This record gives sequence, C-alpha cells and structure tokens, in this order.
Amino acid sequence: MFDRLLVGERLTTAVRTESFGRRVERVRSAWASQIRVACYASSIVLLLGVWQVLGRSFGILFVPFTTTMERLWEMLYGGPLLPALAVSGKLYGVTLGISIVLGVSVGLVLARMKLIAAAFEPYIYVLYATPTISLVPFVSVTFGFEFWSRVLVAVLISIFPILLGVMEGARSIPRQHLDVAAIFGSSEGQLWRDVIVPYIVPYAMTGIKQSIALAMAGTLVAEFFLNPDGVAAVLLQGTTMIDSASVLAVTVFVAALAVVLVSIGDLIERRLVRWRRTAVG
Amino acid sequence: MAAYGSRVDPAAIRRRDSPRRWLTRERIAPFVSGAALLCLWEFYVRINLPSFVATPSGIVMAIPSTVASVSFWSAALASLGSIIEGVAIGTVSGILIGVAMGRVREVNWFLSTYIRALYALPLIALVPLVIIWVGYQPAARLTIVVISAFLPVAVTTADGTRAISKEYLDVGRIFGAKTHHVWFGIALPTALPHIVAGIEMGFARGITNAIAVEVLASIEGMGMSVFEKSAQLNENASLVYVLALAIFAVGIRSLMIRSRQRLAPWYSR
Repeated sequence: MFDRLLVGERLTTAVRTESFGRRVERVRSAWASQIRVACYASSIVLLLGVWQVLGRSFGILFVPFTTTMERLWEMLYGGPLLPALAVSGKLYGVTLGISIVLGVSVGLVLARMKLIAAAFEPYIYVLYATPTISLVPFVSVTFGFEFWSRVLVAVLISIFPILLGVMEGARSIPRQHLDVAAIFGSSEGQLWRDVIVPYIVPYAMTGIKQSIALAMAGTLVAEFFLNPDGVAAVLLQGTTMIDSASVLAVTVFVAALAVVLVSIGDLIERRLVRWRRTAVG
Repeated sequence: MAAYGSRVDPAAIRRRDSPRRWLTRERIAPFVSGAALLCLWEFYVRINLPSFVATPSGIVMAIPSTVASVSFWSAALASLGSIIEGVAIGTVSGILIGVAMGRVREVNWFLSTYIRALYALPLIALVPLVIIWVGYQPAARLTIVVISAFLPVAVTTADGTRAISKEYLDVGRIFGAKTHHVWFGIALPTALPHIVAGIEMGFARGITNAIAVEVLASIEGMGMSVFEKSAQLNENASLVYVLALAIFAVGIRSLMIRSRQRLAPWYSR
C-alpha cells in the first residue's frame, strides 16, 4: 500500500516535470495513425477548397475544381481525350519497349567489351547531357514528322537510365563470382545465364523504373514538338484558345496517370530488390 | 571476350602497372571512334541529303560567325540567366520545405501527396497551364525552371534529412541542441550529398524544360534560336546553339560532381 503510493507520487512528479517537447512527442506517438490520416485528409480538403474558392473569383484563367472535373468527364466521354490517349499510349508503349530491349542489349555489349565501351562511352554521356528537345529540329529534317521519328525522340529521352544502369551493373559484378564460374569450368553461355544476367536484373529494373516515367516525358515532348498529336495536341489546343478548364482537366488526368505508372515501377522494383537482398546477402 | 580469371597473363599485368604506358588502347579508342563517327556523318549527309542539313565541317565553319553575333549572346544571357536564377530560387525553397518534410512527420504527411505527384508528372505537361497563367513571357520560363528545380531538391532533401542515424540526434540532444541546431546543424550537412544530387537533377530538368517553354511560348532564348535557325534552313548555326547548350549542361554537371566531392568527401560515387 505504502509502496504503491510512493510509486504513484513519483509518477505524478515525473509527469509534472516532463518538458513540453516530451509531452508533444508522447501525443504524437500515441495518435500517430490518426494524425497521419488527418494530415492526408486535411491537405486534400484544403487544396480542393482553396482551388474551389480561388476558381470562383479568378474568372476564365482558373476554373473551380468542380468545373474542371465536369470538363474532364465531357472530354473522356465522347470528347477528344480517349482517341488522343490511344495515340499517345501507342507511342508510349513502343518507346518503352524499344528503350528496354535496346538499353539492356547495348548496355550488356558495352559492359562486356571493354574497347568498344571506351570508344563510345564519352559520346553516350554527351548525348545524355544534351537536352534532347534541342535535337528535335534535326530529327524532323532528317527523318520527317511521322511515327518513327517521334519514337526516336522519345527513345532518346527514355533510354539512358536503362543503358547506364545495365553498364554499371555489369561492371560491378564481383570478380569472385566470375572466378568461381571459371573454376567450375562454365562456358560463356552458362556464365551469362547463371552469373551475369541474374546479377544485372536489379540494376536494369532500377533503370526501367526511371524509364517508365521518362518515356512519358519523351512521349509528350515528341508530340509537342513534331507536329502536335495525341494528348499534347489536346493540351496545345486548349492553350491557344485559353481554355483553362480543358488544360487543367488534361493536366490533372496526366498527373494521375503518371502517379499510377510510377507506383507500378516502384512496386516491380521493390519486389526485385527484395529478391536481390536474399540472393546476394 | 577474354576468359575471366582463367589464366593470368604476366605481360598484361606489367603493361597495366608500368606508369609510362599512358597511351593505352582504351585511351586512343574514343578519338578513333569520334573521328569515324564524324566522317560517317559528313559523308552520309553530303551524298544522301540536301545541302542545308548540318555537317561537322559546316558546324565548325559556322562557329565564328555565330559566336560573334549579338543575338547569340543575348539568347544565351536570357536562357542561362533565367535557368540559373530559377534553379537558385527552387533550390533555396526546396531545401527549406525538404528539411521541414524530413524532420516533421506531420508536414511530410501534409505535403507529400502533392510533391510526389508533381515529381512523378513530366513537367512538360505543366507548360501549357503555366503559359495560360503567366502568359507568353519570360516569367513563364522562370516559373517552370523554379518548379523543375524545387521538386527534386525538396524530395532529395526530405529523404536525406529523414535518414539521420539516431546517434547523431542523441549526441546533439546531450549537448543541448535546439530544434534549429538539429535542422541546420545536423540534418542539413548529413543530407548534403543528397541535396547536391537534387540540384544536379534540377539543373538537368530546368535546362530541358526552359527550352520547352521557349519553343512553345516563343520566348527569346537558346531553345527558341535552335528552332528558329533550323526553320530558316540554317542548320549549322542551329547546331552551334545546341553545342553551346550541351557544353553548359556538361559544365554544370561536372561542377556539381566536383562540389559534391569538395563538400562531402566521405560520400563516394
């Protein structure tokens, strides 16, 4: 009885002398998940509210959220957005596919052939650093404005993370792995199948994750600057007509699409990174 | 394809170790391949394509007259000045927001949805909206560059300041560090390599997006000049502008790598 009282007394003094910061920290850890949900919810509510209120007072330059969503609905159903998305989606798919195939194969070749890599690496880096948009006029003069020159521009934007990632991965294969393979007398084919390719997959995936986002930028650049087409044409048309509702609607839609694509990339990469941790240790 | 570690070639080791052998095959190779590429380009264009298409010799001939012109320097000043100004603004605001997001969970939860969404979005998609709001003016370019630099800097700063090891914070607390000491004395220096990487990315995206705005909104600058000269069928001069842009981009990149080595020598890569 006496004991308990003493402990209780000590506890109350401890609580009383507890600093403000500590108390805040205790509240924060106790209510963490609720605070988290509240933060997300309040940020979304705040943005939509500010958007709605500002939109009502700005006139045609900045329309309210509800108007934007209505316009998006109109554009999706029977409007120009779905056909445009089909056009852009085709370009995106072809671009991503070519970037992956070409990036991985060229990266492997360059990584395993020292002399060729030494010969071309500086130029790859210069091409990587050059803003691809500034090369668009030359692509259009040399190859025209058709589908494949769009693909070329988009690939030039999206291929580098895969290419450089694979090169780095192949270069960083530990010497011991190759030595063990050589000791056990593996042939060139076995070496590739059992050592090189499994080691490179995570590096390639990190590159592919970045390329998933970059291919989208590449698609838009190609469509903006080589005779407007697809989603970019819809955006440009809205810009010239100062139709801010359409432009806002398409931009929000593209942003949502980008978030979905990037999340897919993250998901794939996370799975593979987990696999690498267990495999390499 | 040499066999790996199957046989040790003493001559190869001697070759590699001897300091006098600096003229290796790997050193010569870029020059040989570069010369081959340039020759291929030159002759392919001369034989197959009309005469206004750029050739290496034509570009070299066009350098003096282009670089001596007033329009080149006014375009360079407009573009590069706006890029540097925009990246500076974006970096400062990005660091402030990023540290707040990295150190205060609630701020992170509040802002991360939008910052991550904008970070995922190819910013060229924002150009039409910015043109509508800001107008067909240089301010549109500045706005886009600021956003292009702000997002990567904010994201990398947040990631870098969040991942501080607990020992640093404990030592700081023992020595009575206030919040601003933790933020700007511990978190920011720890995140420095991340921040420099963010600024590097901000420059790369800023340059690209600045060109995009110039072309789409007809704002005077390097990107506009590239398209203009090309439309006038003066491709050689146009490529001189591209060359200048590439040199600027490569220069900024190496500056960033050098400053990261200077500021954070413990951080390799």
